[in-house]
Amino acid sequence: MAVAFLICGALISRMTRRMRLVIEDAQASAELKRTNKELEAFSYSVSHDLRTPLRAIDGFSHALAEEYGDKLDEEGKEYLRRVRAGCTRMGQLIDDILALSRVIRQQMKSEAVDLASLARSVAETLAQADPDRKVDVKTCERLPVRGDAGLLRIALENLLGNAWKFTRKKPDARIEFGSLEKDGERVFFVKDNGAGFDMAYVDKLFGAFQRLHDAKDFPGTGIGLATVHRIIQRHGGRIWAEGKMEEGSSFYFTIKEAP
Amino acid sequence: MTSHLKTILLVEDTEDDIVLTQRAMKKSKILNDLAIARDGQEALDYLFCQGAHAGRNKNETPAVILLDLKLPKVDGMQVLQRLRSDPALKYVPVVILTSSKEQEDLLNGYKFGANSYIRKPVDFEQFAQAVQHMGLYWLLMNETPSRSSAF
Repeated sequence: MAVAFLICGALISRMTRRMRLVIEDAQASAELKRTNKELEAFSYSVSHDLRTPLRAIDGFSHALAEEYGDKLDEEGKEYLRRVRAGCTRMGQLIDDILALSRVIRQQMKSEAVDLASLARSVAETLAQADPDRKVDVKTCERLPVRGDAGLLRIALENLLGNAWKFTRKKPDARIEFGSLEKDGERVFFVKDNGAGFDMAYVDKLFGAFQRLHDAKDFPGTGIGLATVHRIIQRHGGRIWAEGKMEEGSSFYFTIKEAP
Repeated sequence: MTSHLKTILLVEDTEDDIVLTQRAMKKSKILNDLAIARDGQEALDYLFCQGAHAGRNKNETPAVILLDLKLPKVDGMQVLQRLRSDPALKYVPVVILTSSKEQEDLLNGYKFGANSYIRKPVDFEQFAQAVQHMGLYWLLMNETPSRSSAF
């Protein structure tokens, strides 16, 4: 009798422990859901509320320049131009931060994606937006993977966009997108012969708001590679880079293949 | 087309945006009268001729409604749903004019019957251009069913 009682007691205590774990699990997941909802409300607010005063600053600077421009000397006009350039830049920053937050919170899809044709379409868009540039873009025929097409497109837009930007000063600009086999793993790469970077700072490359080049030569917000990093992470992959000043950069990434 | 220009209804709670929209319209030579509702309830009062707008003729529907989404009291989506369920207001063109680029707003906007969706750019020149295109399309090009044929 006493033994049965003891066993019963032990069972009950084990069950209570397990139940407590289950309850804690449910609480944690509810907490996570709430945090996600809050994050969504936060980004919505950033998108809407931060842009509104910015639009006012830009709009009224424009009005001032246009309607009272004759009362301003060249220096005054230059100040107004700087106010407006600041607005444009902050608008771009807000958009990029939002894009990053969307990449983090968005539901992932698993679909068949051909990275090569995605890269060609991104390169076409880049060429259309910048028709004066002559860039030799090479991609291989097909690179089928499974992943989220929307997110992978954003990743390639950033990687190819960077390659496009940093080859700006090269008369024979070249960009190559392809894949290679390393230790039995498929590795994708984007290579360019552009401005490159100093390997001493390679650790900083994927951090948000980090920039290795001066904004005047190569404008940007420093959020692009942080966004790419997140996208590759969400695909269970890794990303790394190699570069040499004035000779070019290579970005490598993997994607966890579905079993 | 009648020579009398129909009113444009702007539903917007931010004073700065109201002034900027007026300026953009002036620059685009859009000469229609602009009625302003500063929250969703005021927009409904105007459209349904109730409250402060009880004396207005409901048959005089706006040429186009420029609708912000984030509004005090009643939000833009609710205004849109209310007016799309009213037989007299069902066909009035609605252009959502908002800061938000969230996919959900875009989808809901079209789902609830918005005719177009313009994201207010930070840059005033782009904003003025968007307003000009809007005016060109919804005030000049677009033919809405006349009241007699709508019933």
